[in-house]
Amino acid sequence: MTEPAAEAAAQAAAARFAPGDRVRTRALDPDRHTRLPRYARGCTGRIVAVTGTWPLADDVARRRAEPDVEPRVEPVYTVAFAARELWGEGDHEVTLDLWQSYLEPHGKAAS
Amino acid sequence: MSRVNDVGGQTGFGSVVPEENEPVFHADWEARVYALNTALVRRGAYTLDEFRDAIERMPPQAYLAASYYERWLHAIEELTAGPSGGKDD
Repeated sequence: MTEPAAEAAAQAAAARFAPGDRVRTRALDPDRHTRLPRYARGCTGRIVAVTGTWPLADDVARRRAEPDVEPRVEPVYTVAFAARELWGEGDHEVTLDLWQSYLEPHGKAAS
Repeated sequence: MSRVNDVGGQTGFGSVVPEENEPVFHADWEARVYALNTALVRRGAYTLDEFRDAIERMPPQAYLAASYYERWLHAIEELTAGPSGGKDD
């Protein structure tokens, strides 16, 4: 059993991003299950929160075909995007929960 | 290469129109499909991610012609058919 505090520390250590960080979603287009929707690929957004660590759905979905592969467990973030960034129009924000491997750093943290 | 299910933001599908006083299920068989899938996931027959993957692997023509719970039934059949779980079919 892991102590809650130790677990939280381990999660914080594994988290590559923190609230306020600017990120860009990867422009991947895999021919398999993923939880990064097409409309949000290659877009820049802002980390709002770290929501915990979870097995990567892309990997879990492949367990029958590849039973020896252990799914990656990664931090999941709530990421805010300007609607204009996703759709080319709109003044509101859209938030998505995204796994860490969908994201890469993009510039400096927003102040 | 995105799969047919990934239509967020895509034009041509019209607006999402909520049904007034929409029932949870429109037919008894839909409730059975829902219960069957819940039982299979909880008993570890497959994971929810494998289930979603099976729906997304439907041929686009079949996916677009099917109702929501028809897609669920297709995935259940795909994931449980035969001793190989449908892999060799």
